[in-house]
Amino acid sequence: MSVRLKGTDSAIMIRWIPKYTTVERFLHWVHTASFIPLALTGFVLFAPWLEPLAQGAAGVTIRLIHRIAAVFFGGVPIIYAILQPRRMVLNLKEFLTFSQYDLLWLKGAFPYYVLGRHEEMPPQPRFNTGERLTAIVLVLGTLIFGLTGLPMWFLKGVMPVWLFQLAVIIHDLMFIITFAMFMVHFYLAVVHPMMWQSLVSMRYGVVSESYARAHHAMWYYGEKRAKEMWEQHRREAGH
Amino acid sequence: MTERLAMYIDTSKCMACRGCQVACKQWNDRQGYVPGVRETHNVGTYENPLKLDPQTWTRIKFIEYDDGERFQWLFMKEGCMHCTNAACADVCPTGALKYGPYGIITFERELCNGCGYCSQFCPFHIPQLEVINRLTGEAKSSKCVFCQDRTTNGLKPACVKTCPAGALDWGDRDEMIAKAEARVEVLKNERGFPKANVYGKTQLGGLGRIYVLTAPPEVYGLPADPKYPAISTLWQKIVQPVGQAVFGATILGLVAAFFVARRNVHMEEVE
Ligand code: HEM
Repeated sequence: MSVRLKGTDSAIMIRWIPKYTTVERFLHWVHTASFIPLALTGFVLFAPWLEPLAQGAAGVTIRLIHRIAAVFFGGVPIIYAILQPRRMVLNLKEFLTFSQYDLLWLKGAFPYYVLGRHEEMPPQPRFNTGERLTAIVLVLGTLIFGLTGLPMWFLKGVMPVWLFQLAVIIHDLMFIITFAMFMVHFYLAVVHPMMWQSLVSMRYGVVSESYARAHHAMWYYGEKRAKEMWEQHRREAGH
Repeated sequence: MTERLAMYIDTSKCMACRGCQVACKQWNDRQGYVPGVRETHNVGTYENPLKLDPQTWTRIKFIEYDDGERFQWLFMKEGCMHCTNAACADVCPTGALKYGPYGIITFERELCNGCGYCSQFCPFHIPQLEVINRLTGEAKSSKCVFCQDRTTNGLKPACVKTCPAGALDWGDRDEMIAKAEARVEVLKNERGFPKANVYGKTQLGGLGRIYVLTAPPEVYGLPADPKYPAISTLWQKIVQPVGQAVFGATILGLVAAFFVARRNVHMEEVE
């Protein structure tokens, strides 16, 4: 695809590489559109100072929205497993694959994301360390939200009260973890100046060749080649 | 200290007429017998209804108790204890349940959103959730409010007013305790109830019901030492403030990171 630069005649060619399937992009937005209302309606019950919104008819509506959104939220992994089970397994496997480069990534993340020091970052596969950790927390989180939320919904008064109490507190802890994580995710995906292509990829499913090379070298070049390049880069930098 | 009122309940005088149940329903506009909807059936006990429900805020519990020496048929008036440390009011996200005047745990039905936390955290399992729709979650909590509209206007609760046996009384909590202790002495020394005891003086910081019992509390289904639910403390005192601090810190951190990053990142180098 060629892009004409504003106010000039010059054009640049961008080669786009597919990263996500249409189903994945669609489900990602369903996930977003259900997670945000879940977190906000949950927050109303959670935060004492939002008491006025939790009262009476407003509170009934807030709780109803939480339930409707929960159906979509829980539906996402199920639909994904039905429509693209092999992609799902592939992604889950990638989420769970770690190497010594992940420690380097964690060390380099602050200088990179905050101070803009590119050279610190080791090569990464299709999902970088942070993305994989986020994904794992969210997969576990979804299970835990379901395992605590559904009993709170349908088994109140049926299950023993200590179990209900435990479910509330675990649901809340999961809320704190995932909502804080979501803020970071949102910042990196939408706000952070260097990551502008992540939104492109979630809209169109593609990333540019240059972005793939810079951010996901192990995916772009293959693991072996990416590692060789990294070692060479380190030698040249005098490490 | 502000005045604390309490209900005195002398189980040794109760004759299980259940006038209190009827007076409660009448004053608080609760349903009794509704053909086809609320009917009762003989299941081999005089106890009726068999448990508290959204329409029944108080009831007489019938207990058959054999302590090895003799058989007793015990009657106990059940209902909200109005604890000094009330988990129901602490976990209520709407303020429908509140620490009201005179130590009464008041309830405002219009504010209730039906979450039902109160029913799950009360150590006595008192609040009853009226589930209107399980799927949407629509519901209303309900419980004895010590006739808050009467007692805050200087009247006695309806049940106390109606009790023909003199088993119930209402007044200053310390006076009710003194009356209960005096009665226990009489029961022990003159009436042959060596196990008579006062219940409610210290439990959960002190209850709003002061019971005179003729058998150990457990016999009545009353926990001798009810515990304030630890998860309520953990939730309200730790998880809620910590959670909000985590959110605040995350937002502040990200805003700071954004401004630092904007200074340091050279967009012409960004792929
Ligand atoms: C599988 C999906 C989920 C289900 C079935 C579910 C269900 C529930 C239920 C039944 C309640 C109790 C309140 C009520 O009865 O209305 C609740 C409360 C809550 N939920 Fe969820 N939920 C889910 C996902 C989430 C997610 C993703 C979040 C946030 C990120 C969340 C945050 C909360 C919070 C903060 C509360 C309030 C707890 C409190 O009162 O402190 N939930 N949820």
